[in-house]
Amino acid sequence: MAEAKISPHSLNDLKNTTDDALANYLRGLQFRQDNTKLDVRLAIGYASVVIAAVTFTADYKLGWEATKGWTAVAVVAYALLNGAFTYWTWGVEKGCVFDGVKEGRKISVASKTNKHEPTYYLTVTDSGSAASARQIQAPFTTWFTADGYFVAKPFQQWLASSVEAIGAADVKNASRAETEEATAPGPEEIETVAQSTGSAQASGTESKSKSSKRSKRKG
Amino acid sequence: MFGSLAALQPRQLAAQILNFALVLSTAFMLWKGLSVFTNSSSPIVVVLSGSMEPAFQRGDLLFLWNRGIETQVGEVVVYNVRGKDIPIVHRVIRRFGGGSAPLSLLTKGDNNAADDTELYAHDQSYLDRSKDVVGSVVGFVPFVGYVTILLSEYPWLKTAMLIFMAASVVLQRE
Repeated sequence: MAEAKISPHSLNDLKNTTDDALANYLRGLQFRQDNTKLDVRLAIGYASVVIAAVTFTADYKLGWEATKGWTAVAVVAYALLNGAFTYWTWGVEKGCVFDGVKEGRKISVASKTNKHEPTYYLTVTDSGSAASARQIQAPFTTWFTADGYFVAKPFQQWLASSVEAIGAADVKNASRAETEEATAPGPEEIETVAQSTGSAQASGTESKSKSSKRSKRKG
Repeated sequence: MFGSLAALQPRQLAAQILNFALVLSTAFMLWKGLSVFTNSSSPIVVVLSGSMEPAFQRGDLLFLWNRGIETQVGEVVVYNVRGKDIPIVHRVIRRFGGGSAPLSLLTKGDNNAADDTELYAHDQSYLDRSKDVVGSVVGFVPFVGYVTILLSEYPWLKTAMLIFMAASVVLQRE
């Protein structure tokens, strides 16, 4: 994943980078993306642009008097299409970042941020378990470094552990997050455990003193 | 800067271009909508000369209304000389006809010594209200029109402005 640096102070940049990363991650997990919402928006938008272009050409070639009537019709049509476009963007799409399906499990993700608040809010609708939408959130600092680099691992772990459908698709990240949440063993502890299991066959006292010596030296 | 564009999926790139296209087409359709509403081919014009001083100065923005059929003496109208595309803003000083007969007008700039007979086309001695007049002035904003004068005198400004607008809309993701 290309690590482009963004400004960690721009909420817009943070949200857009995270949205793109989320879509990339889910596509990488073999979720087949459903582009219907975006396609409808593009269709309505470009239809109104075409109407404007045709009106412009007709006016340029034939002049005002000849095209008056058609221009009036075009203006009304354009206003209606633009109204539909606005409704679609605000009412239907509503911050949708990813709509996809994998092995029959549909997932729909919409993201949101609040002004002056560095938190990423996700509304996830899963066709599998709970039918209603779930809200999860995390601060952007979870997956952004202080100077603005996006780190994929913690982001994927958060998603896999918070959303069932993603966790089911990406077991490695889901379980990794769970083990890390438990008390992480320190380096000394790991070594003493390794030594004692390695020399378990030797006599108890000897091995214990040996291992404690070794760990002291290494520590 | 353009790296962010290259990283987009094709549909998202289409969406960004659509944003810019919508800015242009909405501006154009608003203009056409105003034209239809006022029944005038050019509902907002800029004063280019000083022939109407002290009422209107060069650079003033004028708002036109073309649905008043019975133009009176004393009204300020904008008209195009037959064969030329330059709009002229002058005051009506005489009228002939009107009512059921076609209305003819004679105009003169407030700041001019003579009436507009010299300005009309070679075989034209009056204006036809229905054909030559773009509209009568119903309001104005002083000085704002100077931007249009600058754009027409330095055409490279138009291109520069358009490029700047395009870049800022396509590269911004809201």
